[in-house]
Amino acid sequence: MPKRQSGNKKGKQSNFAKLSIFQPNKYKFKKSCPLSMKGAPIIDYKNIKLLKKYVSENGKILPSRITNVSQKKQRELSLSIKRARNLALL
Amino acid sequence: MNLYEHTIIARQDVSQSEIKQLTEKYSKIVEKYDGEIVKTENWGLMNLSYLIKKNRKGSYIHFKIKGNGKVIDNLEKNESIDKKLLRHLTVKVKRFDLETNYFSRKEENEKKKEVSKN
Repeated sequence: MPKRQSGNKKGKQSNFAKLSIFQPNKYKFKKSCPLSMKGAPIIDYKNIKLLKKYVSENGKILPSRITNVSQKKQRELSLSIKRARNLALL
Repeated sequence: MNLYEHTIIARQDVSQSEIKQLTEKYSKIVEKYDGEIVKTENWGLMNLSYLIKKNRKGSYIHFKIKGNGKVIDNLEKNESIDKKLLRHLTVKVKRFDLETNYFSRKEENEKKKEVSKN
């Protein structure tokens, strides 16, 4: 029984990871948070290359359930994205 | 004493000499209120991602300032009046990283690409 349960959970997660079938594959990320690993880049409003990865084509901030960014880092990300928007960098 | 990063965007039709005047003007204000400018960066003329007051481009100037809140108050007061500027942003930081230059590098890379294309 426990095996089945875990299987169900995984299924749910994969459902959440993709919002629609039409979503391009470039939003797929690793399971662990890509920004809290060792040697991860620092989140900064000047680092546009990094911020552009976490923004959709329409300029919206991607939800963390798609990008797998941890809560703490997601807060930093959204703040720095908003700063970059104010400076017309994004 | 706090550490601040301060960025201003000037209009696209502001000339190079006027940009120098602007940086001098604002660095004088900082010094007037016992602040200290650690570094100034000129990011040059860059494309804005959206129109601001019918401007497509803007020249960015970036300051790294050490000082009290009074410095920032007076800076922003003066900048909001200034007609040559489009936007300004101050961010309080715990530590400056003086090594990474996100924008000057980009320009160099673009120049290199252009050279290689030619």
